[in-house]
Amino acid sequence: MNSAWLLFPVLFPILAGAAELVFHFKSRRAREVYVAAAVLVNAAAALVLIALAPEAPFVFLRFDNKMELALRVDGLSLVFGAMVSVLWPISTFYSFEYMKHEGRENKFFGWFTMSFGVVMGIAFSANLLTLYLFYELLTLATLPLVMHSMDEKALYAGKKYLLYSMSGAAFVFIGMVMILRYGTSLDFAMGGVLPAARIAGSENLLRLGYVLAFLGFGVKAAVFPLHGWLPAASVAPTPVSALLHAVAVVKAGVFAIIRLTYYSFGTELLRGSWAQDLVMLFTIVTILFGSSMALRTPHLKRRLAYSTVSNLSYILFGVTLMTPAGLTGGLLHMVFHAVIKITLFFAAGAILYKTHREYVYELEGFGRAMPVTMGAFTLSSLALMGVPPLAGFTSKWSLGTAAVEAGTPLALAGAAALIVSALLTALYLMQVVVKAYFPGKGFVRDRVKDVADPNGLMTVPFFLLMILLLLLSLYPAPLVKLFGWIAGGLI
Amino acid sequence: MGKFLLAFLVFFPFAAALVGYLIGRHSKAGRDYSAQAACLLEFLAAVGLSGCWGSTLQWDGFCGLGLSFACDGFRTVMAVLAGYAWLSTTVASREYFGHLRNRNRYYLFTLMTLGSTMGVFLAADLYTVFIFFEIMSFTSWVMVAQEETPEAQKASGTYLGVAVLGGLVTLMGLFMLYSSVGTLRLDELTGLISQAENKPFLYATGVLIFFGFAVKAGVYPLHIWLPTAHPAAPAPASALLSGIITKAGIFGILAVSCNIFLHDARWGNFLLVLAVLTMVTGALLAVFSINLKRTLACSSMSQLGFILTGIAMQCLLGPENALAAGGTILHLMNHTLIKIVLFLSAGVIFLNLESFDLNRIRGFGRKKPLLMTVFLMGVLAIAGVPLWSGYVSKTLLHESIVEYIAMAGLTAGQAAYYKAVEWLFLISGGLTVAYMTKLFVAVFVEKNPTEQARYDEKRRYVARPTAAVLTVTAAALPVLGILPGLTMDRIAGLCRGFMHAEAPAHAVHYFSLVNLKGAVVSLLIGAAVYLLLVRPLLTQKQPDGTRLYVNRWPRWLDLEYGLYRPILLRFLPFIGALLSRTACSLADWAAGAFGALLFWKAPKKVEPPVDNAFGVYPERPHYHTIRGSLAYSLLLFGIGLSIMLLYLLFVR
Repeated sequence: MNSAWLLFPVLFPILAGAAELVFHFKSRRAREVYVAAAVLVNAAAALVLIALAPEAPFVFLRFDNKMELALRVDGLSLVFGAMVSVLWPISTFYSFEYMKHEGRENKFFGWFTMSFGVVMGIAFSANLLTLYLFYELLTLATLPLVMHSMDEKALYAGKKYLLYSMSGAAFVFIGMVMILRYGTSLDFAMGGVLPAARIAGSENLLRLGYVLAFLGFGVKAAVFPLHGWLPAASVAPTPVSALLHAVAVVKAGVFAIIRLTYYSFGTELLRGSWAQDLVMLFTIVTILFGSSMALRTPHLKRRLAYSTVSNLSYILFGVTLMTPAGLTGGLLHMVFHAVIKITLFFAAGAILYKTHREYVYELEGFGRAMPVTMGAFTLSSLALMGVPPLAGFTSKWSLGTAAVEAGTPLALAGAAALIVSALLTALYLMQVVVKAYFPGKGFVRDRVKDVADPNGLMTVPFFLLMILLLLLSLYPAPLVKLFGWIAGGLI
Repeated sequence: MGKFLLAFLVFFPFAAALVGYLIGRHSKAGRDYSAQAACLLEFLAAVGLSGCWGSTLQWDGFCGLGLSFACDGFRTVMAVLAGYAWLSTTVASREYFGHLRNRNRYYLFTLMTLGSTMGVFLAADLYTVFIFFEIMSFTSWVMVAQEETPEAQKASGTYLGVAVLGGLVTLMGLFMLYSSVGTLRLDELTGLISQAENKPFLYATGVLIFFGFAVKAGVYPLHIWLPTAHPAAPAPASALLSGIITKAGIFGILAVSCNIFLHDARWGNFLLVLAVLTMVTGALLAVFSINLKRTLACSSMSQLGFILTGIAMQCLLGPENALAAGGTILHLMNHTLIKIVLFLSAGVIFLNLESFDLNRIRGFGRKKPLLMTVFLMGVLAIAGVPLWSGYVSKTLLHESIVEYIAMAGLTAGQAAYYKAVEWLFLISGGLTVAYMTKLFVAVFVEKNPTEQARYDEKRRYVARPTAAVLTVTAAALPVLGILPGLTMDRIAGLCRGFMHAEAPAHAVHYFSLVNLKGAVVSLLIGAAVYLLLVRPLLTQKQPDGTRLYVNRWPRWLDLEYGLYRPILLRFLPFIGALLSRTACSLADWAAGAFGALLFWKAPKKVEPPVDNAFGVYPERPHYHTIRGSLAYSLLLFGIGLSIMLLYLLFVR
């Protein structure tokens, strides 16, 4: 198979989205058919490409013999690409219903479709330069989505997002230049491209470069203290919060950090060094910080955003352990958290859409009134808390054992932080569940008389996600095996 | 067959719970009967396990590490006990929940709790134990929260918080154990401590794993959920919580103590301290309580302390621990049966009077022979009166302490210490006698000053199924107690394998003078406490000559509200918020300082006019009109052309 096809899932949605921005649709029906077709075709194409996995990289632009823009599929692209391709169509259907009350749907769906292409570009990047390009493009493509409502809060959030991401990219640039100067190439190769012989004498400089690049990509992965844009961006329409701020954008940051750590700088250089300790410390602080802030935030969507901050650092903590077991745990949590958090956000969105209630304390008695929504919310809450046998437990188990196996005092502290954070997670999610199902003895049913589940476009995604979650929960063995191979550098 | 039974016992209740829930949306009676049928099937399957010892069940890949179950004598006994407890309480539930709301929810979660409890009891590795233990924490939480009263909400919050915390600490311990040993299978962990190189690490691991199980088993100082959760839950749920769910904690402690820390004296001493504290504190709390169900709950805590003493003595005694092992398992079984009787009786009283307050329910039991007999069986059994079952297990436990003191190799100081433990054991037994006497006298002997006539008139105070369950369970207590050699010794024999205990050197003569002495001492202490302490100090004489029970337990001694809640809910969040805010502000200040530096001496912001979309233009002076016109430009252009023409013509 010709590897030029790799360009298809990247370019097609960008063109399709741009076309929509140019030729505005007059009828909602026509737009829905168009967008659904574009997204479904692209998701199918991406999954087929991932399954076939053409060996050779496809170079579509060459500057000189070291710098080129190229696409290819390897094990890690597979995980990220497949995750995004499965979740994107589900979110699209959800958005059709949700965006009815937000307005300006042409603009929204145009950029929404374009972001898909950009994210696939990140997934399929074959080298650091390509990744950098798409990483910057992602900021630009998602900015209009964050600022969608164009009111004061949204503009502020957009500005903050732009500022944080652009400055982050500048940091990454420093790291990239160092790889260009010292490395054999910019390509991604498991184990890194910095052979010990070439870098003798300048290890610490390179470690500094790594830390800077980590923090740069860490902006999108919401590493404390660079997380500020994420809670602010929860003003965006819920599908954006759900798909981009729990899955695509933030995980693009995590994905980039994995690339940087394992495929560019290499764990040989970093393991056991001050650089590893430093970045691990960042993740541990973020885990605790995110969970405690979530507990203190009464606004449901912002609470979930803080929870994302914390959970992204679970993944990064696994990544910074720099062992195969750690990476396996991190990847497991990346996939599980994607499914779980998207459901939680969808539930929060359904509540907002149907009842305009945004605060946790307003949800008394919703359990009976919105059975599907709250059922999905409860199941995914339990999963995120890591109640066995649900998905979060498996990933927490892998992360915890990997941390203890690593054995350093900091890794042990990280395992303890996971435990403390799990407790906080239980507190901030169960508060909602308890409010919804146990409103208390004197509760008057009339107060939720007007509350009901949304229609099929929104509830079917819940069912799909729940089935996915249960499958992942009860039979994670194939995933664990696959991630083990990836972490071992086999695919 | 064994594989099928194991899978059936664990997974059938979950299926039955869902089916029952769906039935319950259409027919309430159908749901009740289907729940009872499910419990009956479970009980029969548990009994059926006795034919398949040695069989195992493996489900690889489930949740990562996979599940594994096994079957042996001890697990069978536990499964039968659990099956019986669920069967009896479910039968009684039909009457108890007759008029309550949300019954569907109750049955759904009760059956799921049954499945998870079976999962814990039948597990062959700590991973499986943990998975089902966590499920059980969450499903049983709904049982506590069932009534949704303010007390239930508070109690269930505490229950869930403590359970989640405990589960997570245990998980941390399992992380450490798994990554240092590489297995969690109980049979592969046996005797680990004697081969371990890094003993302090293994002890730390053990304590962490122990923590979560200790929470469930109500071990001091983690017992705080117990005295509030039991009274807040519906009576059948209390019976299950106290009778079986706390035993899941004991199962976990046993699994750790009899495998990882097999015959380890240091671990035994650690357990012994906690056991004695639990035993004494629970008994004291029970003596002071003036609420029927709270007394029973605190009594549970105290009895769990007795069981834990047995586990501690097993570790201390080493290989010759048959007495301690027997005492542990028999007391566990007795306590389950006794608490089913007592909590269900309390439920009967509550159904009639809607109260557990001793001052309100006093006198209700007069002229009700059935209730009185049943309750009396429970009282005599738990108080350790000879000829009832509790006497046998307490005697074994007491003898194991005596045996340890007699064993050679104790210094005088150590001997005095264990002697003190023995006396605390006897005193706790005495306190048991005292608080049970207090309950019995209040409910069945004293007259109610105002309502006695109304109480006496109540003839139909209990439905037939409930009465049948109570009678059968209560009848078992004296039967077990009168024929210990035929019944209880054999059950203890079944369980030895799990605890790696040897058979006793000689049969125990339960009714010999030496053994009777301990019981008599306890009974005398109990009588003294009741007459000298409870009657004069814990009651108040009213002007009309009647006595009122008063709660004299000082409020500041409440661990939950005096210590844990302030620390966890005020102090730690305050520190956390302070740190988070400081950190946030630091980042903000840094960004602000950076911005200030960047824009230092920058020109002032220019506001673009509204109609000018493309930017800001500097003000320029207005030119003369002709210079801006087309004609002027043409003129200049023409002049230029002419000059160029002249230049070309003449200069070149």
